[in-house]
Amino acid sequence: MLSYADRLRSMRETKIRHTLEKRKQNGYTDLDDFGTVPISEGYCVEPWYNSTNGSFYGYDGMCENFCRVIDAHEPYIDPMEMLCGRWRDMLVNYRGDLHYMPDWLKNNLKNLEFIKNGATNQWSKRWDEQRFPYDDLKPLQEKYNITTGIDGDAHFACDYRIGFELGFGGFLDKINKYREINPDKKDFYDAEERCVKAIQRFIQRHIDKAAKLIESETRQEIKESLIKMKEVCENIKENPPKTFHEACQWTAFFNCASRIYTRDGAGFQIDGLLYPYYERDIQAGILDDETAKFLIANLLLIDPHYYQLSGVDENDKDMTNHLSYLVLEAADSINIACNLTVRMHENCDREFVRKAVYYLIKNKNAWPRFCNDKSLAEGYMRNGVDKKTARERIAVGCNWMCVPGKEFPMNDTVKINIAKVMEEALKDLRKEECYSTERLFELYESHLKKAIEVTAAGINLHLDHQWEVTPELIMNLMMKDSIEKGEDISQCAELFTVGIDGAGLAVVADSFGALEDRVEKEHLLSWEDMFEALDNNFENERTRLILSSAQKYCSGNSAADKWAKRLTESWVGLVKAQKMPEGRQLIPGWFSWSRTIEYGSKVGTTPNGRRAGEPISHGANPNPHFRQDGASTAQSNGIASVQCGYGNTAPLQIEFDPDVKADEKGIDIVLNLIETHFKKGGTLININVLDGEKLMEANENPDLYPDLVVRVTGFTAYFASLSPQFRQLVVDRFLSTDRQ
Amino acid sequence: MIKGMIADIERAATHDGSGIRTTVFFKGCPLNCRWCHNPECIGFKPQMMYYPEKCIGCGKCDEGCFSGARVICGKEYDAQTLMKEILLDKDYYRENGGVTFSGGEPLAQPEFLKLMIDECKNEGIGCAVETSLFYYNEEIFKKLDFIMADFKIWDSDIHKEYTGVPNERIKENFVRMNKLDISIIARTPIIPSVNQEIDKISGFLKNLKNVKQYELLPYHPMGNAKRAALGMEPDGFKEPDREYMKELNKYAFVR
Repeated sequence: MLSYADRLRSMRETKIRHTLEKRKQNGYTDLDDFGTVPISEGYCVEPWYNSTNGSFYGYDGMCENFCRVIDAHEPYIDPMEMLCGRWRDMLVNYRGDLHYMPDWLKNNLKNLEFIKNGATNQWSKRWDEQRFPYDDLKPLQEKYNITTGIDGDAHFACDYRIGFELGFGGFLDKINKYREINPDKKDFYDAEERCVKAIQRFIQRHIDKAAKLIESETRQEIKESLIKMKEVCENIKENPPKTFHEACQWTAFFNCASRIYTRDGAGFQIDGLLYPYYERDIQAGILDDETAKFLIANLLLIDPHYYQLSGVDENDKDMTNHLSYLVLEAADSINIACNLTVRMHENCDREFVRKAVYYLIKNKNAWPRFCNDKSLAEGYMRNGVDKKTARERIAVGCNWMCVPGKEFPMNDTVKINIAKVMEEALKDLRKEECYSTERLFELYESHLKKAIEVTAAGINLHLDHQWEVTPELIMNLMMKDSIEKGEDISQCAELFTVGIDGAGLAVVADSFGALEDRVEKEHLLSWEDMFEALDNNFENERTRLILSSAQKYCSGNSAADKWAKRLTESWVGLVKAQKMPEGRQLIPGWFSWSRTIEYGSKVGTTPNGRRAGEPISHGANPNPHFRQDGASTAQSNGIASVQCGYGNTAPLQIEFDPDVKADEKGIDIVLNLIETHFKKGGTLININVLDGEKLMEANENPDLYPDLVVRVTGFTAYFASLSPQFRQLVVDRFLSTDRQ
Repeated sequence: MIKGMIADIERAATHDGSGIRTTVFFKGCPLNCRWCHNPECIGFKPQMMYYPEKCIGCGKCDEGCFSGARVICGKEYDAQTLMKEILLDKDYYRENGGVTFSGGEPLAQPEFLKLMIDECKNEGIGCAVETSLFYYNEEIFKKLDFIMADFKIWDSDIHKEYTGVPNERIKENFVRMNKLDISIIARTPIIPSVNQEIDKISGFLKNLKNVKQYELLPYHPMGNAKRAALGMEPDGFKEPDREYMKELNKYAFVR
């Protein structure tokens, strides 16, 4: 008889097989795993285009193509699992962007034909530029290498309580009810209705497949499990989930649908929302802890959505419960790429936090990560939000937080490359007669102001029209007031606290620091020498080394440390001063993000000794080799000093001493670092505890360790799926903190 | 003003004692262990370390080297400047972390060491030393939270052959220190080709109540890169294999 442990082992093996197969199909992806399964033989979608530019937009375009893609999805049932459903493909693959297209789609001639027929030269067709052009904004957006957020989607969070209360049948009832109240919004409601029905068909196909599998299954315990699976699916196709098992399965189906639609990965407070089901089922004697753990592990396997654990409620009362522990144990039992975040507060159960740290060190699989309630909640309240709402704002994205059901933050979709802004300031400085870091900073600020203005204009254009381009038809179902008003959530959210992040902090801080130290104070170089070196991309290596060996940001008490703080004050001040219409606000952050290679390719030589085109620094992190000892405390201090203070993050992304052991001493050390960083105002900590030898071997031959997970930034990824260039970045980051 | 000759400062050290620590490496040591993994800390004066693989051949050595090829090891610190570094991590030290004064031999610069310990104590920062116990300084020992002390070789002649000094004084200092109210973590670097008589060292230490722990540290060849940078020959020792360490570890203890 197969035990849960046997079944989990088998599920893990299948996962590893899928990871390798997906890499063959998709090529390298420097992204989250997303829980997809490989594309099956013969899979084909014929997209429907409603725009002459070869893409599809709006209620009808998104709805029709969602139905086509989800209808093409075969049911996925692994009899080893208790839950079913997986996703493979998403709408954006068909929106005419050859750049975003996965290899398997390019390699399928029939598929490619559909795309080619509609292809135009427009770079990204996720946005309908024919109807909503922004040519006037493009020159400055390009000048400052801005990721505009125009054409973005998802990046907010559903309130799963709405779904748990209504179920798919309840969604339909609600849609019908409000269609009658708002007859002028018929198109919206029709599209919503068709989407829900498509999800129900998806569920029905799983019911049918389960029925077939039951017939042929010979192992008694697996047969019973399949019978239960079928029964659960039948119950939740119409009805709201009533049991713990049903709530997990309901979540799995909704998440598959939401991923297919816009790759949305925002989860929920998992130990809070599932607890009532857990408690009820335990009391009723229909659930035990082992089964609950298996179901959670199964849910985490199906999709690495971002879930938060622990934390405190609006009255500062600890929310940790028995299920919080079970979630950690479940994650340990499956031990894959899990995007779990532990929310910390001084009132929280300390034993729970210790256990979370224990798993981080023991498994060396980069989960969980930790966020700081105090600085996040108090920071968010500074935007004029009450404490209760601020407490509801949970970690549900790569490095971002959101109030489920209420907020539309566009988090992670808007960035300004401040290394590029500095480059423009340097160009201006050369035209002047006197050179100084002070003057350079003034010029930098004036460019930054322009960059923020044009970014704000882009955000406003996006928010004004997203509903006509990429309405959020799936997530709307669990957002407050969307169905009630017949409006897309991008129009009617309660909170438009829009995140805007700076990228390249360490490059800019180190550049200012090097100029102050080496040029202004020590006179090792003249400004003219420095400009010449920038022009010739450091032909003279000595010149480069003079600049790059200046003390860096995070070394402690350095000029670059001082500049990093000043750059942060300036960033926060200018972002908050930017006026926004219709109650919208901008929230500054230094986001840790994976686009350091791409951003670097746009930036020329910089005065910190960085050559043209090399990657820029990572989020709020220092540059590699910021100190010879790579001290985690130094990094923690530096990053705590550049927090933006309005509820968004400047994450501490850290590679921890690989020798640290999962014993009392090891836990104490890591916990000390986390707690002290948070006491100093830090917001979020992403920790990699990596086995150096394994990492090096995996870099040479990734297939040796298809289960090796690394925390790239806010998300974790299978090392084997990363591109060679990106793997090297992870290795370099690791080496820079690997002590003698 | 009293100044100290310091070779290096390592923050967030987790191997030199409990908790999160800052390790301050004092330059200069009365011993000259052939396997020393910090050979740059043996001499008392600043030394140039040369890493030819980092040299870019700019020919401007006299104007300063920025490539890391020529590095001066050893810098004079006054207490205030060193405290500034130590205080950067004050919040992380908590009850069981703090500062480890290592080297070299920190007790070879007793005045500066005493001053630094007092400064740290004033800030509520815990202090420990790593020492060869060649020196006995009760005034300093009494100020410390714990001491990490080496006992390298049992036989005094062999001790002298490999470290440059006999060990009677070190043994005696272990015994003297046992009368103080202080925890000792005793340690032996394991060098496979040397007859260290770990069993005897262990037996001796077991009789000392203050020795709370006896650790065996496998030799590692990382000092050789620094030896080369100092123009010295490689030490010629080999790392002990796992079996050898496992065999010897039966003499290690914690109480």
